[in-house]
Amino acid sequence: MAQRAVWLISREPGTPFCGTVRFSRRYPTVEKRAKVFNGASYVPIPEDGPFLKALLFELRLLDDEEDFIESRDSCSHINKTSVYGLLIGGGELWPVVAFLKNNMIYACVPLVEQTLSPHPPLISISGISQGFELLFGVQDFLSLSQKNDTELNTKLNQLPDLLLQACPFGTLLDANLQNSLDSINFASVTHSQKQPAWKVGTYKGKPQVSISITEKVKSMQYDKQDIADTWQVVGTVTCKCDLEGIMPNVTISLSLPTNGSPLQDILVHPCVTSLDSAILTSSSIDAMDDSAFSGPYKFPLTPPLESFNLCYYTSQVPVPPILGFYQMKEEEIQVKITVNLKLHESVKNNFEFCEAHIPFYNRGPITHVDYKVSFGQLEVFREKSSLVWIIGQKFPKSMEINLSGTVTFGAKSHEKQSFDEICIGGTAYLKLHFRILDYTLTGCYADQHSVQVFASGKPKISTHRKLISSDYYIWNSKAPAPVTYGSLLL
Amino acid sequence: MGPLSRETWAQRLGAFRASPSAFMAGPEGEDLGRDLLSELRSEKLSEQTKVSLLALSLEYPAQLWPDATAAEAAATSLLDTLVLLPPRPSALRRPLLLAATTALVAGDALGPTSEASRRLLPLLLGLASGRDLGRGFGPASEQRPLQATACECLRELESCKPGLLGGCLGLLRGLLGQEGPVQPLSLLLALALRNTLVIRARARAGLQGLLMAGDTPSGGDPWNWALAEEGDARLQPQAPSWPAAEEECGLAVLEPTPEEARELRAAVAQLLDTSYLLTPVAQAQLLWLLGWALRGLRGQTPVLFKPQLVRLLGTAQLTLLHAVLALKAAFGEALFTAQDEALLLRRLTVAAQHPALPLPAHLFHLHCLLSFPENWPLGPTAEEATPLLLGPRLCRGLLPSLLHDPMALLARLHLLCLLCVEDEEKEEKGQDWSPRHYLEELLAGLRQRAALDGGPRASATLCFQASHLVVQCLATQPTVLTPLTHGLARLYRARPVLAPHFVDLLDRVGPELGEPLRVALRQEVVSGPGRDEALRWHLQILAEVADGNAQSATLGFLGAAAAHCTDWGLQQALLRVCRALLRAGVGGGLADLLQALARQWEDPDGRDHARLYYVLLAHLAGPKLGVALGPSPAAPALASSLVAENQGFAAVLMVQEAPAPIRLSVGPHRAAGPGPVLQLHVEVLEPAYSLELRFRVEGQVYAPLGAVHVPCLCPGRPCRPLLLPLQPRRPAPTRLDVRALYTTPTGLTCHAHLPPLPVNFADLFLPFPQAPEGDKLGFFEELWDSCLPKGAESRLWCPLGPQGLEALVSRHLEPFVVVAQPPTSYHVAIRLPPDSRLLLRLEAAQEDGVPVALRTDDWAVLPLAGDYLRGLSAAV
Repeated sequence: MAQRAVWLISREPGTPFCGTVRFSRRYPTVEKRAKVFNGASYVPIPEDGPFLKALLFELRLLDDEEDFIESRDSCSHINKTSVYGLLIGGGELWPVVAFLKNNMIYACVPLVEQTLSPHPPLISISGISQGFELLFGVQDFLSLSQKNDTELNTKLNQLPDLLLQACPFGTLLDANLQNSLDSINFASVTHSQKQPAWKVGTYKGKPQVSISITEKVKSMQYDKQDIADTWQVVGTVTCKCDLEGIMPNVTISLSLPTNGSPLQDILVHPCVTSLDSAILTSSSIDAMDDSAFSGPYKFPLTPPLESFNLCYYTSQVPVPPILGFYQMKEEEIQVKITVNLKLHESVKNNFEFCEAHIPFYNRGPITHVDYKVSFGQLEVFREKSSLVWIIGQKFPKSMEINLSGTVTFGAKSHEKQSFDEICIGGTAYLKLHFRILDYTLTGCYADQHSVQVFASGKPKISTHRKLISSDYYIWNSKAPAPVTYGSLLL
Repeated sequence: MGPLSRETWAQRLGAFRASPSAFMAGPEGEDLGRDLLSELRSEKLSEQTKVSLLALSLEYPAQLWPDATAAEAAATSLLDTLVLLPPRPSALRRPLLLAATTALVAGDALGPTSEASRRLLPLLLGLASGRDLGRGFGPASEQRPLQATACECLRELESCKPGLLGGCLGLLRGLLGQEGPVQPLSLLLALALRNTLVIRARARAGLQGLLMAGDTPSGGDPWNWALAEEGDARLQPQAPSWPAAEEECGLAVLEPTPEEARELRAAVAQLLDTSYLLTPVAQAQLLWLLGWALRGLRGQTPVLFKPQLVRLLGTAQLTLLHAVLALKAAFGEALFTAQDEALLLRRLTVAAQHPALPLPAHLFHLHCLLSFPENWPLGPTAEEATPLLLGPRLCRGLLPSLLHDPMALLARLHLLCLLCVEDEEKEEKGQDWSPRHYLEELLAGLRQRAALDGGPRASATLCFQASHLVVQCLATQPTVLTPLTHGLARLYRARPVLAPHFVDLLDRVGPELGEPLRVALRQEVVSGPGRDEALRWHLQILAEVADGNAQSATLGFLGAAAAHCTDWGLQQALLRVCRALLRAGVGGGLADLLQALARQWEDPDGRDHARLYYVLLAHLAGPKLGVALGPSPAAPALASSLVAENQGFAAVLMVQEAPAPIRLSVGPHRAAGPGPVLQLHVEVLEPAYSLELRFRVEGQVYAPLGAVHVPCLCPGRPCRPLLLPLQPRRPAPTRLDVRALYTTPTGLTCHAHLPPLPVNFADLFLPFPQAPEGDKLGFFEELWDSCLPKGAESRLWCPLGPQGLEALVSRHLEPFVVVAQPPTSYHVAIRLPPDSRLLLRLEAAQEDGVPVALRTDDWAVLPLAGDYLRGLSAAV
């Protein structure tokens, strides 16, 4: 259960190597074991240069897509997980755990404590999940409050010291690198016996607890007889508990109003000490019925110092917040569009913002637009071939708004217009972007009384809620649209 | 080299990291390890620079100190540096401990005789125990981190030398119960416990009170080098809490005494009770280790884990869920009831699609779902399959859609295929959107995407990967394969540029899809005009799919295409199709086409090839032609078709030198006929046709021998003995040099040199024509007398073995006996071609031999006869 090496590679398309190794760390004592365990199938960890080349090739990130290359493009070369085999120096380096996120490739090679030929199933290799956890941890650390390249570089420079703390010999001790950073700084604090490893110090100051619930709603709407619209709410509850004492006990409860939608698929933070079986078993896989557990959802926990995601959940609300249709018809060089959006009456009509983005793929730049909107205003991005309908803070009293118009396109130039594999011909969508503060679609809330703190001093409790859209698509109902299996089960 | 500045070091380290091998090969490489150690004590360098030097030594000890001696010296130097640090806070203590540990392990220097090991181990154990080691080890504020680091170092040593800390279990338990840092001590104890249990179980030894809490084990030195040696024979794989891997490791079973069992339970419970104080990844490690530790223990129920499970199942942590699966695999029903199993499956299904989790986690969970360790698996465990409790309902959210990322699409497609297999096994339920119907729609969508002009190669690849996956899973379902075949043919029509993908697919799928797809693609190609831009791709496809079928259409297409093959590449592509046709045994029309090409084309290379193919077609019989055009056995990997092709011709048109698959031996002697004849037995290891054996006589003592022909020989099928008549010029033994010429089943003509065949003196013996009845003695006496005076006479002692004279004669000399008065006297007359004789009188046999009087008319025979007679008793 250890890693043989870790890499961070920034992706740089257009440069000679298409990427640069920004960080790498090898673990020679683990390598020693790999040699014994893997026996004849052992392939040593390569130097950074060859590794970079082989990984980018395998991930299809080199600029050489032109030709059919059997070792990459063969139909039998099927990868179903983010675990790869890299051909290096005549051998296959396996398993390489790797993924691309925000132009950074995170990669590591877990130790496999047996022979590698044939490949043992991934589920039997303890280092695989640990490798993922390490990479996720690094990714979280890099993306946390990172705004520009300088900050990224600062964080990359901190990585060697952090891994010396969090993963000194290749065996991961803590995936939360921020915690390791704190522990370097907290070194002088005296520890008592029961100090948890995930909490490096104790809080001193005014007690306060902050809970914020963020719900994201996604939707696929088709406006078709034979295809069902789908929508889903995904909630994240983030907490920050500033409480004195080593192991303060806190219980946070989430509640629903009487007509609220039950929370499902609840995943909790490891600091939650026990879990009601009703919470554990409520799942979106099952058919909904009235007997579904609808809270309150109690989470007893001992909080860590830093802000943490107490839980994630999904929920199936009865109606989508905004229901709409989008009709688009092609007529030679122009398209006719009609959009109708209707806000459901139960939804709070007070947006921080609300916009409908209408992109046109695989076409030339927009040369002319004739349009009529019943509400809000339309912005035209000619070069990007897209329209943005700015709806603003409120829907009108009728709760229903329309847009109709004709868009004319110029000649297609291959360099500028982005290619899209899905939006071919009439297949097109509009995407809604909106945010409503102090509101959740499920109705889920945490009030001051729902928080019990077993620690000295009465804490100040603050709660926040918001609803934001995410992947909220309305597909052109006059053409085929990509569907999921769920949409077909009417 | 004098002290280096910070900048110089930064530069040097940068150059090293860019390519360690290049740096070490360069002029500075040799000194780097030494410089690094001495610079650590330099007062000019900042601590930060020193930490970066230590970081380098943590990663590349094998490059810096390549052998055990150097590693030992380096570790000693690092320990000295540590001791010499001033008693103020320093960032160097932790990395120095890590570096010394790494140097010893990576350099193979760790051992009971290593001085550095004997310094490091007590130091680490002292630090880990929280003992006051004096001012040299820093201020009190550093004790806690140093204690944790020492535990980590000990854990790494235990990992690399399992059993090393077998004697410290009691001590570690004690520390964990007191004030020690929970996580490092828990992990260290769990690992040491696991290793000890495994080694003890293998040695079939008990725990011998190792677990008893105590400050220090009795007998002073806590290091269990003996146990470590046992463990070192082969490092213990941790993975085999997985049942599949278990058999290979021969999991031994330990039967602890009741008291030991109680102690063990207490230790495990102690570790589990405080496990919530560990970070999630450390908890997962603890569970893997303890699961593995308890698995080999008879009578230990795993219920100890039960209180942890609900808490673990609720989290979103990949490692924790994975650890629970490891426990599931290790203990099965003993820990998870059927309901628990169902719950675990549901949590896994949720985790495989939960929008809050990243894609790599989804994919890993999906893999775990298809490799789920069921309590009662139905199929073979090695293959991915849907668990029994995972019905189509549960999978609904896990099915693929065109909007998914390629990897997710393939993973989910696999699940969909597995569902289709089950669906087929049940009866068709008549629902509109059966999984199979959905699968078809999805594949059509993928093909549509791949057909887009100018679309990225990745979408084409995805389409073909999906098709391949479907064929792998559903090869027996025509309802799936037929639309797939048609769809692919349409895809080719839309985008012939995907020809390499088609060829690749055809090479990798079985006949279920391969056969109909070949037909469809051939149809697709030959029905076209044969003169468009896609000609190159059409020819590539035809070279793959052309066979004896639809000859006239194919030839018609080629004939039309020939005129448009104006460049060398196209001509070669067309010739490749001709080759394929030649191989398939297409005759008449092809000959006309080749002749036309040889006339029509201007490029000499194309013309020559067409002519060559024509000549081959006209002159070689079918099988031979097949071999001529088949892949060359000599260099199958050569990229150039021409080189490969020429080698193919060379192979088939020339005789190959080969190691002989033929064994030749001399059978029993046949003393009859006018001249001596060798009876040869032939055996073959592989079929050989038209075998010709050629013999050459060493020393030319016989007349040249004729060749022997055998039409066909097969392994295991007995062959009549071959008769080889000899015509000696002198009556002398010799050796025959043998060469074989034969044809292999693949049509190659081979030549082999066989081991020489010995012809013995006795092989030449012939009897005299029948003596007149009644006066045999007179006949013999006449022969006897005629030998002298020209010839020679001798008497010699022929030793008799235990079998006696009678047996010796009957075995070796029977055909040549003229007068016999058993058991006392024999008169033997032997004719030796070309015209010599050998006469023997064997009389009055004694206990251990018989005196033999012999005469011959050829004095040169005398020594041979002597050798022969003396060798008789030995040659039983």
